[in-house]
Amino acid sequence: MSAYITVNTAGEALCFVVSLMCLYKDKEPAWRLFICFLLITVLVEVCGIYVRTVLHRPNFMIYNVFLLLECLVQSYFFYYLYKTYRNTQRLLTGWLIIFACFYSAELVKNHFGAYVSASSTTMSVGLILASVYFYYLLLKEERSRQLFTYAPFWWVNGTICFYFAGIACNLFFSYLVQDRTPGIGHSARYIVFSIINIILYLSWSYAFICRYRQRILSSSSD
Amino acid sequence: MQISSKDLILLIGLASVIFLIAPVSLIVYVMLYNNRKKRHEQEKAWLKTSFENELLKSQMEVQEQTMQTLAGHLHDNIGQLLSLTAVTLSTIKPDDPLRVREKVDSASQLAKRAIKELRQLSRLIYGQELTRMGLAAAIAFELDYLKNADLHTITFNSNYEPKEGQHDKEIILFRIFQEILNNAVRHAEATAIDVVVQQDEQSLEVKIKDNGKGFVEEEVMKEKRGMGLFNIRKRVALIGGEVSIAAQNGTEIKIVVPYP
Repeated sequence: MSAYITVNTAGEALCFVVSLMCLYKDKEPAWRLFICFLLITVLVEVCGIYVRTVLHRPNFMIYNVFLLLECLVQSYFFYYLYKTYRNTQRLLTGWLIIFACFYSAELVKNHFGAYVSASSTTMSVGLILASVYFYYLLLKEERSRQLFTYAPFWWVNGTICFYFAGIACNLFFSYLVQDRTPGIGHSARYIVFSIINIILYLSWSYAFICRYRQRILSSSSD
Repeated sequence: MQISSKDLILLIGLASVIFLIAPVSLIVYVMLYNNRKKRHEQEKAWLKTSFENELLKSQMEVQEQTMQTLAGHLHDNIGQLLSLTAVTLSTIKPDDPLRVREKVDSASQLAKRAIKELRQLSRLIYGQELTRMGLAAAIAFELDYLKNADLHTITFNSNYEPKEGQHDKEIILFRIFQEILNNAVRHAEATAIDVVVQQDEQSLEVKIKDNGKGFVEEEVMKEKRGMGLFNIRKRVALIGGEVSIAAQNGTEIKIVVPYP
């Protein structure tokens, strides 16, 4: 049982609970989508551990499928965020087509026998650029915002930190995956990923709380 | 290769910090820029409020000036004429028919003059509304009224054409003009006043020149008599204009404001 309780699963589960409590009555489907997405994330993580530790089989296929879902949800959410400023439907469609081509090509190249790491990196780059574009739109708009309580800002902050640090870790510290220390029992790469996971889920949870507070304030002022 | 747990923790800490430097810097930059935007918004709001306050003050001062002129005119001219009419009528004696005719005629003349003065006065009240018809009309009316007293030689030239959305600016400009005219008549004891309103595509220039005593601006400001001058400069700045004052051998005040 203890194998299922890791920093990642605990963080995801906590974020799921926060999303359930804060977004359940949200009027925007894009925000409510995170309840399902985080539930699936927790399930995928648990399934991954089960396949690896109980069935003793590789679990990459679960993560391959999940990557597709992750890309869809995050891209759609960015599209929703941009909608306040401009219509980016074409950009979203173009990006999803490019990603789907890349993903399929990599799957076929690997003969469906390995994790699609290049597609994962491509998605990370795409989402980092999307985050930077969101900041650009935020800077360009004439009005200022209360950023400390602005939910989209905190969601994007978590996302950019996670994917930026993740991509850097993947590219430059891959050798760290081999080193295990008896006192800790994990590779440095695993621990760095756990840290950025915590940052991601803390940031998202805070964004959900901001969203909840915004909804409560706007409904009480009506 | 086996590395010690101390080194690994240091490495993990370092790696995490290095990887997070870029996104965190970006986030901090966005927040700082947003704060700057917020401060700019606050400054804009403050400027708007002070402009509205000044506009309201100018409107009230225009009204006050009108009421003062009205009170003075009622007391000095119409009041005197009506008193004289009453005295003339009271001296009529029915037993002296030859003088009755003469006194009635005289009273009638006085009453007619009082009516004429009243008509002029009613135009003055209407003059407040003239700012709505444009700056030049309001200035022309104010100068006409002064001309009636026959104490000043007044010239007025203008190529002014009213433009949409500039009414607030014109009220403030008109109030500044009133203040300058007041100074010329009351303090400078001028006998000739020359007013020019010159307009081009982007700006409006109002020039008021008199042959009065003139003054030294620094001295006036130092002796704290210069509230009028201070107000003129402040209000011109508020509507984004510039003012230049030359006060030797009479006074020449030139105000240029943007008038797109």
